[in-house]
Amino acid sequence: MEFIQFTWLIPLIPLLAFVIVGLFGGKFKNGLGSVAILSAIAAFVLSAIVSYEYFTGDLFAAGLAYIPEPIEWIAFGTYTLNFGIYVDSLTCVMMLFSSFISMLIFVYSIGYMGGEGKRKRRYYAEIALFLAGMLGLIVSSNYLEMFIFWEIMGVCSYLLIGFWSFKHPDGDEASVKAASAAKKAFLVTRLGDVCFMTGLFVLLWAFGSLDFTAMFDDPVGSLVNGNGTTIMIGTLLLFGGVIGKSAQFPLQDWLPDAMAGPTTVSALIHAATMVKAGVYLVARSYPLFVQNAEMMLIVAVIGGVTAFIAASMALNNMNLKRVLAYSTISQLGYMIMALGAGGYMIATEMAHGAADIDGAVGYTAGVFHMMNHAFFKALLFMCAGSVIHAVGTEDMRRMGGLGKKMKITSWTMLIGCLSIAGFPFFSGFWSKDMIMEAVMEPAVAGAASVFLFLFVLALITAFMTAFYMFRLWFMTFAGKPKDEKLHCHGESPVSMTLPLVILSVFAALSGFLMFFWLNDIITFNVIGGAFVVGGHGHEGMDILHEILYNQWTYVSLALSLFGILLAYLMYAKKAIDPARLNAGGNTRIYRALTARYYFPQLYDEIALRLGYDVAKGVDYADRNLIDGTVNGISNAMMGSSGMLRKLHSGHVQDYVAYMAVGVLAVFFVFYILIMTGGF
Amino acid sequence: MEFFEIDIPFMLLLLVLPLIGTAFCSLVKRDANQGAIMFSGFTLAVALVYVCAMWTTDFTESFSTGWIETKYILINFDLYVDGMSMLMIVLTALLVFLVSIFSSSEKHNPRMFFAMLMAMEVGLMGVYMAHDYFLFYIFWEIVLVPMYFLISGWGGPRRHYAAIKFLIYTHVASLVMLIGIFVMVFEAAGASDQLNFTFSAVAAAAGGFDQLFQTAAFGLLFFGFAVKMPLVPFHTWLPDAHVEAPTAGSVLLAGVMLKMGSYGIIRICLEVLPQGAVAWQPFMIVVAIVAIIYGAYACIAQKDLKKMVAFSSISHMGMVMLAIATLSGMGIGFAIFQMFAHGLITAVLFMVCGICGHNAGTREIPLLGGLAGKMPIFAAFMMFGFLASLGLPGLVGFVAEFGIIMSFFEYLLSIDMIWPIIFALAALLLTAGYYLWAMQRSIFGKETDRIDLSDVHDVNKAEGFSLGVLCALIALFGIMPSIVMKLIEVVPLVISGVIV
Repeated sequence: MEFIQFTWLIPLIPLLAFVIVGLFGGKFKNGLGSVAILSAIAAFVLSAIVSYEYFTGDLFAAGLAYIPEPIEWIAFGTYTLNFGIYVDSLTCVMMLFSSFISMLIFVYSIGYMGGEGKRKRRYYAEIALFLAGMLGLIVSSNYLEMFIFWEIMGVCSYLLIGFWSFKHPDGDEASVKAASAAKKAFLVTRLGDVCFMTGLFVLLWAFGSLDFTAMFDDPVGSLVNGNGTTIMIGTLLLFGGVIGKSAQFPLQDWLPDAMAGPTTVSALIHAATMVKAGVYLVARSYPLFVQNAEMMLIVAVIGGVTAFIAASMALNNMNLKRVLAYSTISQLGYMIMALGAGGYMIATEMAHGAADIDGAVGYTAGVFHMMNHAFFKALLFMCAGSVIHAVGTEDMRRMGGLGKKMKITSWTMLIGCLSIAGFPFFSGFWSKDMIMEAVMEPAVAGAASVFLFLFVLALITAFMTAFYMFRLWFMTFAGKPKDEKLHCHGESPVSMTLPLVILSVFAALSGFLMFFWLNDIITFNVIGGAFVVGGHGHEGMDILHEILYNQWTYVSLALSLFGILLAYLMYAKKAIDPARLNAGGNTRIYRALTARYYFPQLYDEIALRLGYDVAKGVDYADRNLIDGTVNGISNAMMGSSGMLRKLHSGHVQDYVAYMAVGVLAVFFVFYILIMTGGF
Repeated sequence: MEFFEIDIPFMLLLLVLPLIGTAFCSLVKRDANQGAIMFSGFTLAVALVYVCAMWTTDFTESFSTGWIETKYILINFDLYVDGMSMLMIVLTALLVFLVSIFSSSEKHNPRMFFAMLMAMEVGLMGVYMAHDYFLFYIFWEIVLVPMYFLISGWGGPRRHYAAIKFLIYTHVASLVMLIGIFVMVFEAAGASDQLNFTFSAVAAAAGGFDQLFQTAAFGLLFFGFAVKMPLVPFHTWLPDAHVEAPTAGSVLLAGVMLKMGSYGIIRICLEVLPQGAVAWQPFMIVVAIVAIIYGAYACIAQKDLKKMVAFSSISHMGMVMLAIATLSGMGIGFAIFQMFAHGLITAVLFMVCGICGHNAGTREIPLLGGLAGKMPIFAAFMMFGFLASLGLPGLVGFVAEFGIIMSFFEYLLSIDMIWPIIFALAALLLTAGYYLWAMQRSIFGKETDRIDLSDVHDVNKAEGFSLGVLCALIALFGIMPSIVMKLIEVVPLVISGVIV
């Protein structure tokens, strides 16, 4: 039996869970959370079976995707829009880690959301829909289908960020903030989504279809046919969607505010769904993106700048979850930068007429890092959730010394920190060094000095990442308790610690997969002028060799270790006083970092000027100018306002009389017209 | 239409059933609400059978019988149904049925209230089926009367002002439209003595209308329809009427009455006066964009939830106008789609506003806050309606929006001027902005202490049923838009050379 033909069930199972939980969850005490969890498990198992079948099948060996005949969704004009399934290596990798991590997060929710009572129904229904959105996006066979799931995820994030928006455990002020954060997340990503949608119009017009098969088959040819500029505009607009969804500069500012939701939701958004969708879109659209080197340069620069500024904002933040949020933005910047650099290499080589391009390190590094990041970021957030669950605050200044009371949490979080900091042989180390290599490649080749600049940014970011992550760990777990009033409930229940342990294994070891399995799966090649995803990878040992024999690996490693050491000296050993470095938080740069480079003000200002101020003007004009004219005319017609007031007698009979007069008048005019016309 | 081997005049049934309902409701001693539900239910059942038949066999149907015939005039009782009429008929039948249930607990003079609802259904059905200009005009005017009484009899504090404004404003516009009809009929009659008011006679003669005449006649008719839609700057009757109207009135007003305007433009202006349409095309594009943007901005500034929704109707009907103004088959198809989609969505919005005003005691957004805590089901419906209205993919509004902007994009490409697309896109953002901001202030955040919420209650069964049906349909047609598209394909827009 071929299971791959049931791929469509993968997003449908969580969708059904959403419906069931939404309709009937209220009748059960646990809000039918078990249905949501079972659906995630089922989705994961089915993903695993489908992936196994695909990787062992003939299609993978031939470098082809599994694409069953799509269903017609709507047809208009000369266009037909479809709904279908598209399974290739990228799909498999994505759906495996998304469903796996979501499954663990769902299980973790049993403990974390245990005290939510009746609202569990809403919670489980929404996270199930969230997962359905992500899995649907992953298996989509065309851009419109993708866009639909993309937006469904947007709504789920809106709902879940605002989960506590009318009754927050921290009080009314926090609930007001949550409502505002949810709105901000939706509106800022909506700006990106409008770009995405416009991109769809451009691409639909250029290709006459939005199916991947039709678009990716021969875009090299369409480029020759003079469609190059159109494709560039279309992909640029698609990338606008990515900037919104994956929180890239300059639309990054919604993600830190999104911490207002439950921590499990943050884990879901940051690790398994939502923000990964943007990176996935770039990877999926690679055949279109690599048509143009300038386009890829823009992508890489946006990624590099994002990685840098987000990491810098994390340096002095005191909120446990906020630091993790900035780190997500920064790591997403890494992925985008890697994809941009790899695409740049392919684009330039294609422009030189190369028909065969053997792999792009950037592509492999970007997707590989996305997977590793999913593991360690889910781990970090769930550890943070465990801490918050135990102490009831997110402020790191009040924590400290929790390591003794929460052994499992502190050790698993240490693994997550080592991984994200790029400590040797943890998963983050391998993918981060591949990213460095990918960015270095065009820089060394002399293709663009911009990449040299990006490489330096990436190195500094690596240092900052190591520093702020260990600052976080030391402030939370090391030393002595800082706040006597803070009560720690001790270690979290098993439903919460078990996912932590499982994830920490992956966060530590998933990097090794690259050497004997993923090296052949996460690849993007040009063979005979056609794009091939998966297969034809480098030998695993070659990759290992390249990483270990590259001097830059050791430079970035040294910087990371220095970051960890600095954090140790400042926050564990207290040998260096942080206050001395920043003059007690009074330096201009310190304040700029705390204010997130004044981006929130910028957003507010734009919304106020272009939105509310104009709206007030329109409203004034409407009341006085337009409606004033209407009332003025009617007053003039009635002779005087006094007479008009008399008409408003309020007696229904009077109105009926006026009506009758009116109708009679109409018929009279009608009659005259007929008579005069007739004769 | 042949059905079970029996020839049933479905079109007449659609007029007669609500007419009997009107008489029934105004004559019974009590339980007028039951009568309204029953007769609107019968009408809906007939409409559903009829639409299923059309869906499976793609027919268009005419009904013709003589009515007034003298030496000088010929007026027939002609009816005609194609895909566009059918969608509007089903929408009318559905909404009248649902508002009858929604308002079934109306205490104030229920006999007249439900009689007015049923009378309005007669008028609306007539407008969407009439195939004779005189008949069309009669039905057009019939619709005004019950709406006037609904506003002035069951409305809010300023109901008399709003009702009379509504009546005079739209009535003046109707007169201009009537003049347009006359000039068209006179022109069509030509040298003949007899004025023939049937659609078919005018359409047959329309080939001989010269461009100047078409442009002039188009202007007269267009003004009449534009006030009805309404387009900026002829819209100010609408927010006033909505704010004062009872919920049932608002739902029908925004859900089906506004569509009379766009229906008229497609059915009469485009089919008979295509060259006039070409001459007016730039103007139509501009007024459409103005309506879209102006309506959206006005929404942001509103404090009354219902007034905001009223302005959002102006913005969304601007989308319909934009689609029509592209003068392409695709654009007009999606204009019809948007008329249908907006009818479903806006019904949810006005019902939600009604519940808010009734249960919380006020619709003033600054006074509300945190309602989701006490009224979770209400909040869920409100959120669903707002998200549908802002064009969330997977719901019916998105399909219309996507198709309309795509048609507009193609039109702009054809005239080699892309930048106006910015306006359509900006509207998407503004729409999301005002809805989300309104939700943030009304149902989310801290529970308000500015009004007394101690004994507030959630949606009741009747309200929940009406809203539930509408939401289910919004989702169904959003996921499977081809169901609606199939009917839109049964609109024979065969004007060679203009609409492709």
